[in-house]
Amino acid sequence: MTRHTRILMSVIYWAFIVYLFVPLVLMVTMGFKDSKFIGFPIRGWTLEWYASVFQDTQVLGVFAYSMTIALATTALSLAIGTWIACFLGPHKFRGKLIVFAITCLPAVIPGIISAISLRIFARLIELEPGMLAIILGHTVHNVPFVALVVMARLATLPKSHVEAARDLGADAIVAFFRITLPYLMPALIGAGIFCMLLSFDDFVRAFFLGGYEPTLPVLIFAKLRSGMSPEINAISTVVLLLTAVLGLWAERSMRRLNKGA
Amino acid sequence: MIQSHGVQSSGRKAIVSLEGITKHFGEVTAIERLDMQIMAGEFITFLGPSGCGKSTTLRILGGFERPDRGRVIVDGQDVTRLPPNKRDVNMVFQDYALFPHMTVAQNIAFGLELKGKTRAEIDKRLGELLDFLHLEGFGGRTPDQLSGGQRQRVALARALAPDPKLLLLDEPLGALDAKLRGQVQVELKDIQKRTGKTFFFVTHDQEEALTMSDRIVVMNAGRVEQDGTPEDLYFRPRSRFVAEFIGETNLIQGTVAGRDDSAIVIDWNGLKVLGAPGEGGVPAAGAAVTAALRLESVQCHAERPAGANAIPGRVVHRLFKGSRTALDIRVGEREDAVLKAYMDATDAARIAQENLWVSWDASRLAVLRD
Repeated sequence: MTRHTRILMSVIYWAFIVYLFVPLVLMVTMGFKDSKFIGFPIRGWTLEWYASVFQDTQVLGVFAYSMTIALATTALSLAIGTWIACFLGPHKFRGKLIVFAITCLPAVIPGIISAISLRIFARLIELEPGMLAIILGHTVHNVPFVALVVMARLATLPKSHVEAARDLGADAIVAFFRITLPYLMPALIGAGIFCMLLSFDDFVRAFFLGGYEPTLPVLIFAKLRSGMSPEINAISTVVLLLTAVLGLWAERSMRRLNKGA
Repeated sequence: MIQSHGVQSSGRKAIVSLEGITKHFGEVTAIERLDMQIMAGEFITFLGPSGCGKSTTLRILGGFERPDRGRVIVDGQDVTRLPPNKRDVNMVFQDYALFPHMTVAQNIAFGLELKGKTRAEIDKRLGELLDFLHLEGFGGRTPDQLSGGQRQRVALARALAPDPKLLLLDEPLGALDAKLRGQVQVELKDIQKRTGKTFFFVTHDQEEALTMSDRIVVMNAGRVEQDGTPEDLYFRPRSRFVAEFIGETNLIQGTVAGRDDSAIVIDWNGLKVLGAPGEGGVPAAGAAVTAALRLESVQCHAERPAGANAIPGRVVHRLFKGSRTALDIRVGEREDAVLKAYMDATDAARIAQENLWVSWDASRLAVLRD
C-alpha cells in the first residue's frame, strides 16, 4: 500500500466515524439543553429533562413493559434456537438444507411484511393484541439468529467430549446439560444480548401486535408526533447508555468464556 | 477362527468376548467376523494401519458403534445393545476429551458422581487417583493450565475412577512429543501392572505396541493377521504383512527343498538355507515360500563357523550408525540376493574384509503363510 492510499483510507475511515457519532453526540447534547426547542444556539444547560424522565411514571412503566417483553423473548428464543441448532447441527438427513433455509427465513423477511402477517395470524387464532402477541412475534424473528450462532459454536465442540460424558455414565440428557450447554455458554450469552437488543429496539412488530400499552419505541414515536421535546433526547440517551453497557459487558464475558474453552 | 494362544494357557479368565463381530460403513467393511477373547488383567494392543478396523473394534467395545452382526460379552453380560453409559467400560480418548469448563478434580469426579457415590467416597477416590498418577496439587487447575503429559494422566485418572472392568485407550500417546512418549509408555505399562486392570490399547505405532503389550493383535483390512505375544510377532510373523509392518526384516523367497529334523530346507537361489515352519505346518516340497529373517538374527563370521549352516557372502555396503553397524551382504551369485544385517560396531570392525560367512539360528527364519 502506498503512502497516498494509506492516507486516503484513513480519511475515509475518520469521515465514517464522524458520520456515525455526530448525530449521537447531537442527540445527547440536546438532552441537556435548557430550552423546549431542539436546535442551536444553546444558551443554557439543565438536568431538568432527566429529572422529568425519571419522575414520569408512564415512561418508567413503559420501560419496564419493554424490558419484560425483551427478557421473555430472549428466554424463549434461546430455548427454541438452541433446540433447533442441536437438532440441525450434528444430524444428517434428507432435506436438511430446506429445513435450514426455512429456519433462517424470519431473519430476512422485511419487518413490515412479517408484522402484518403476524397481526393477521394473531387475529385468526384469537390472540389478543398485547404483550403475549409481541413476545411471540419477536421470538419468531429472533430464533434464526440464536440458531445460527449456537450452530456455529456447536460445530466446534469435539465429538469426543460428549462421548466421554456418555462413557462416564451420563445419559444423553445429562450429557447435554453438563457438557454441551456449558460449552455453548459464550454463544448463548452473545445471542441472548442480541435478542434483548433486537426486541427492545423493535418498533414495527410491537406497533402492529401491541394493544393499548405501548413499548418504549412506540411511546417515543407517539411523543414525537406531539412535538419534538428534549425529554425524548433524555430517554434516548438513557437507552443508548444501557445498550452500550450491555453490549460491552456481553463482549467481555464472551471473550473470557471463549478463552477457557 | 482366531485362537488366542499363550496367554490363555496362563489360566486367566476371559473378561471380554467378541463373537463374530462384523461391521460395515456403507460399502466399506470395517471388521469381518472378528472372534476374540480378552483375558482379565492383560495389556492387549490392537495394532494396524489406519482403516484396519482397530478403532472400530474399540468403539464397539465402548458402545459408540453397534456391530452389524455378532455379540459383545463383558464379564458374562451381553452388552451388544447397551449404550456407553450402561457399560462397565471406560475410555481414554485420543484428544483426551477433558471437559474444559471443569477443573481436574471435577473431571475425575464426573464418573463417580454419575455412579451416585457420596461426597466422602468421591473425595477419597479422588485423593487416591491424584496421588497414584502424580497429580497432587493439580486438582484445582483447569485442563488448559496443564501440559500434554499431565492432561494424559488426568484423562487416565478420569477413566480409571469408576473402576471399569475394561479400560479402552485410543492412541493416547499420539499427541505427545517423541521424547515424552517413551517415558509415558513405561509409566502406562507400570500403571497397568499396579492396577491389575485390563487395558485395551489401540495404536498404529509398532514400537508402542511391542514395548507395552502382553499380547498384540495385528489387524489389516478388517481381519486379524496375527494374535500373539510381542516376541511371537517379532520373531515368528505369520504373514508377510506382519513381518513388514513390525520392524525391519529380510524377506527370502525360495522353494521348499526338504526337511532337516524340525527345520525346513529352503532353496534360495541355489543356496540351501534352514528355516522354521509356521503354524500352517510344513509346505510340500517344491512349493514356493516366503520367509522372514530379522536383521539382528543374521550372524556374521570372519571364518567359516564349524557345524553351523553358514553361507558365504560379500559386504556391499557398510553403514556406521553409532550403536550398531548396518551391513548389506550379497550372498550367492545373484545381484538381488542381499541380506541386511545389524552388528555390534566393535564386532563389525573386527571383520574388516569384504568376504565373510553368514549364519542364523534356524528358528529365526520364519516361513510365512501363503
